[in-house]
Amino acid sequence: MRGSESTQEPVADREVVITRVFDAPARLLFEAYSKPEHIMKWFGPKGWPVTLCEMDFRKGGRFRFAMTGPDGMQGTPFGGEYLEIVPNRRIVYDNGFEKPGAERMIVTVTYEATAAGKTTLTIHTLFASVAMKNEHLGGGYERGTGSGLDQLADLVAEMRRQESP
Amino acid sequence: MASATLQQLDRVFGALADPTRRAILARLASGEATVNELVAPFELSQPTISKHLKVLERAGLVSRGREAQFRPVRLQAAALAGAAQWLGGYRRFWEESLDQLDEYVKDMKRKERRRERK
Repeated sequence: MRGSESTQEPVADREVVITRVFDAPARLLFEAYSKPEHIMKWFGPKGWPVTLCEMDFRKGGRFRFAMTGPDGMQGTPFGGEYLEIVPNRRIVYDNGFEKPGAERMIVTVTYEATAAGKTTLTIHTLFASVAMKNEHLGGGYERGTGSGLDQLADLVAEMRRQESP
Repeated sequence: MASATLQQLDRVFGALADPTRRAILARLASGEATVNELVAPFELSQPTISKHLKVLERAGLVSRGREAQFRPVRLQAAALAGAAQWLGGYRRFWEESLDQLDEYVKDMKRKERRRERK
């Protein structure tokens, strides 16, 4: 973690929550997260497979991934440490790109069994700063699919400038 | 995402799919305006502008003031922020990853069942 400047921003402004219900038991979803042979089959957006996957899956163990894009070039590796592992229930890790000055995020994945063998998977991400969160959430702008979306991006940027004190 | 949120997102992108409505939003980004003030730069009739405003209002992108006579139109940042988040790279990264995870765990389930039958 970096200095106190990042911890002054409220948690609510730095977090993102993504949820999905799977028709599979929690232990299979946990399993899919726990081994490189599985991770390499699903992790990452379509067209960006994980081609470097080192992981020491235990509390205090480290992981290191990199993805290869459609251009065949391997991207900047990213990774971190497993901070907490509760089998079939929860995985907490920190993560960041291997770049000088790159900020880090803490990701908490929870597996919650619901009725009839289904599982609610929740990915909670806490970014080090609001700026880092915006940078990650705004990553889609550059590949906006048309002038309408470009304008939307401009508009949102303009609004952010007005909102920030 | 909850279906109410998705419906809202449909409305937002529907509202944004028109150059006049985007121009209205861009104008409102620099401050609220009355309908008359919005009519002037667009060379469109007031009913046409009002129709566009209704679409924007239904999408939650703008709100109208209560003062009956002027009812200034204001940009509502929250609805746009939702759309911006959806477009954002991190969320999409996970949505696509989870699509693939969904396929993959189905595969794991099938393999497990096959093993059990043996």
